[in-house]
Amino acid sequence: MKFTYNWLKDFVEIKIPAAELAEKLTMAGLEVTSLEERAGDFVFEVEITSNRPDWLSVIGIAREVAAITSSKLKAQSVKPKIKIQNKNQALKIAIEDKKDCLLYTAKIIQSVNVGPSPDWLKNRLELIGCRSVNNIVDITNYVLFETGEPLHAFDLDKLAPGAISVRRAKKEEKLITIDAVQRVLNQDILVIADKRKTLAAAGIMGGKDSEVSYATKNILLEAAIFHPVVIRRARQILGLQTDSSYRFERGIDAETVRNASLRATQLIAELSGGECVAAIESGSARISKKTVAFDLREMNKILGAAIPLLKTKNILKHLGFQVRSKNKYVLTVAVPPWRGDVNQEVDLIEEVSRIYGYEHIPSSLPEVKPQVIINTPRDLVVLIKNILTGLGLNEVITYSLIDRDWLRDFNLPFAQPVEVQNPLSKEQEILRTSIVPSLARVVAFNLNHKQNYLNIFEVSKVFSTGKPVPGEGLVLGIVLCGEKTMLLNQGMVREELNLLHLKGAIESVLKGLGISGYSFRTGSAQDIILEKDSQQLGLLWQLPSRVLGSLDIKNKEVVAAEINLDKIFPLVNLRKKFTSLPAYPGITRDISLLLKNGIKIEDVLFAVRKQAERLLKEVAVVDFYKGKQIPSGYKGLTISCLYRSDERTLTEEEVNPLHSAILTVLQEKFSAQLR
Amino acid sequence: MHNLDLAAIQAEIQKVNSSAELEELRLKYLSRKGLVAQMMSAIPGLAAEERASAGQKANVFKNQITAFLREKELSLASPGQKAAADTLDITMPGIAQELGHLHPITQTINEICDIFMRMGFSIVEGPEIETEFNNFTGLNIPLEHPSRDAFDTFYLKDTTHLLLRSHTSPVQIRAMKERKPPLAVVVPGRVYRPDATDASHLFMFHQIEGFMVDKGIKFSDLKGTLEMFAKSVFGPGIKMRFRPHFFPFTEPSAEVDISCVICHGKGCPSCGRKGWLEILGSGMIHPNVFKHAGYGLKKYTGFAFGMGVERIAMLKYGINDIRLFCENDLRFLKQF
Repeated sequence: MKFTYNWLKDFVEIKIPAAELAEKLTMAGLEVTSLEERAGDFVFEVEITSNRPDWLSVIGIAREVAAITSSKLKAQSVKPKIKIQNKNQALKIAIEDKKDCLLYTAKIIQSVNVGPSPDWLKNRLELIGCRSVNNIVDITNYVLFETGEPLHAFDLDKLAPGAISVRRAKKEEKLITIDAVQRVLNQDILVIADKRKTLAAAGIMGGKDSEVSYATKNILLEAAIFHPVVIRRARQILGLQTDSSYRFERGIDAETVRNASLRATQLIAELSGGECVAAIESGSARISKKTVAFDLREMNKILGAAIPLLKTKNILKHLGFQVRSKNKYVLTVAVPPWRGDVNQEVDLIEEVSRIYGYEHIPSSLPEVKPQVIINTPRDLVVLIKNILTGLGLNEVITYSLIDRDWLRDFNLPFAQPVEVQNPLSKEQEILRTSIVPSLARVVAFNLNHKQNYLNIFEVSKVFSTGKPVPGEGLVLGIVLCGEKTMLLNQGMVREELNLLHLKGAIESVLKGLGISGYSFRTGSAQDIILEKDSQQLGLLWQLPSRVLGSLDIKNKEVVAAEINLDKIFPLVNLRKKFTSLPAYPGITRDISLLLKNGIKIEDVLFAVRKQAERLLKEVAVVDFYKGKQIPSGYKGLTISCLYRSDERTLTEEEVNPLHSAILTVLQEKFSAQLR
Repeated sequence: MHNLDLAAIQAEIQKVNSSAELEELRLKYLSRKGLVAQMMSAIPGLAAEERASAGQKANVFKNQITAFLREKELSLASPGQKAAADTLDITMPGIAQELGHLHPITQTINEICDIFMRMGFSIVEGPEIETEFNNFTGLNIPLEHPSRDAFDTFYLKDTTHLLLRSHTSPVQIRAMKERKPPLAVVVPGRVYRPDATDASHLFMFHQIEGFMVDKGIKFSDLKGTLEMFAKSVFGPGIKMRFRPHFFPFTEPSAEVDISCVICHGKGCPSCGRKGWLEILGSGMIHPNVFKHAGYGLKKYTGFAFGMGVERIAMLKYGINDIRLFCENDLRFLKQF
């Protein structure tokens, strides 16, 4: 909403410069977003909150200025001459549904001289960005900005004589509006019509047919109250927001309507010589008379302040409230008709506090002992993210809304996705059922920017259809791609990331969460299943070339995992227990061997453990190699065995037979070649 | 004692071929019962006028022998070690696993939540799919009202009035229904609004909601709490102002501005020459919200506030395009 400094001065004495006024308005809740000096005046632009339709007018802002600067409103005298002629010849107004239109007033004004507006009128409108049309239209606009009540002038001679009606449009009814666009209406849209045709989309825009032109002689001046919700729906359907609809949607009071109609009638008489011959009113709007009880102690308790009674009363009076004291603390406050937003004590507390100034309310720290709410899932998510970043992975955040086709390309057994009713684009049409497609796109994006090593993860919700409400689950997604390089003493080591890197990251997370006894199993397709006690906890897989092709990823392998955190969290065990350190030294023996491909390390380690259960404390793969010295079809391994007793220092003689037995098993059961 | 001759000792040390032999010589001269120590211990028995020069001499011996030993030690170092010492360039990159990076939004959320947790707040989270009631009606936002225009919302197909929450405030309703005061809660999370994406809008972003409810919570407590927060995030020199505003779910309501982090209040393009930057919305919880949460009339008071995490992160790190947060360019992420 725009207004000017001089226009405001028509209604209130202002003794401070425009810039200072702007600052004061902002600090009272009427945020001035721009202030510009133009043509000897200052143009203010303010952001009006949706609770204050009364501020959508120069008069409304003048009232506010009066309150914040403690100055007086200037008295207005609006007394247009209305010569009521033959009452029977006057137009009849039929309101189909009183709920749609609480009040309809019409003034019949004859013998107007339509022409250009005088300069002062043109200039004021142009300063606030409103184009001048002709004196009649300009007056309706001027009064709209001045009072907040939208007005409309019809060319009376274009209307069928006798009556106009305020009714819902018929299905498929058409109207060409003033902007020369043909609108197709329906039953949700309120219209003004005569016997023959539709004249206007009520409260939004008039029709081209009956608009005021230089040829117009007689006019019908409309000022009405239309139901806010009806106007809101209609403007949504028509996709047409106007200064008029904006105000009706926020609510107008009957007093303002009547004053605006008189003010415009007077201006039309002054500027176009028109004579008002009839004033017709239909509808049941009454001027509201609300009173609200107010307790000073209550206000100061809620604010943590000590605003005195006199100050409080003055603020309320300046804002147009009528105040009666019941005792030292309790006031009865009568609410002016334009303040539909004030209905209870807290509304008055806000009024007093904002004019008093928030900056004058002290600061304190609350004296409470709030209950402690432990949020385990969030703590665990923080832990998981810290583990993964410690491993060198980078966290990403991607949209939960995706394109349905992203899932289709992945061809995984995902649940039925939840669809969005009003997406702005195809890339927002469903809630994702997996985060891996989004992560894969991040990989593709970064590969395009010449990043060759990608190790990313995200923790987020995934969604699935369900009854009675869709399901929401928390997952961890990890995607790795490219070549990891590490500078070591032997030089730069390069490693293509693969499923084992992915497995390692997941194992680190599970270890950090105190989860053991899980396993990785090759599933039915190309995927690896992470499971514990036959419950699937997650999936790991290498993205097939078809998927990579759709992402335009070339000559790269991408591995991905999605872990179901809702299933992981119940397994978490963060209670740590101390085990005594070994009292006696152990003996370590390494075994280097060649194994045929296809033999699982897990089986080998299991057999080794079983063979020397009692004294073999640890057995682990400590080296793994491929290369020229390894015959094809084989892999080279080094297994390290740690023997130790809790009762004594072991001797070589004790370990030797155990170790030989292990070697035998390796050779006999797994045909391992020792090296 | 006087037979100690520095030149002879130097020659003796020079002849040594192994570090073991060198160690023997070190013990012979410099150990606690070595020859130098014996020289020192003999001093008190000398005539007074001789003591000073004898002491000086003993010190010279000690320093010289130490130097000879050190020199020999270096020359004795194994050829491998010597080569390493020659080839080690300490200006080469150190060898370590590179650390990963938390997303700047996560870092900002963690920082903000930590500040409020130190003030006694607990973290609560809520679902991203919400009911129309929790997202609007319960928060005193009527369904067909212009105040809803600030909250364009994604609705879900084939559901009865389910939507993607357009703010984290619905968790106020959930938390208040689940628990009785005293309550001090912060709610971080994703929110969704069908806004066209540009340098300052995303259709999915993050908010942190906070609220405190008990008997006797005051507007001045809101001011004090948020001042503490802003100074912790933006530094103790930051100025703040509370500006009246309208939110359906609070009354009185305030928008909170901080002095511009770039121009420090002088006015620059970043703050629209105002010197102030809006960082959050806040106010005293509206009585209608308490009613919807099932709390008795006038039993409790409370304050609430909500902020956009992306906005705070942009101000904190000096980021000028919100889209960077969702693009996930590693060159961006690795800066944090």
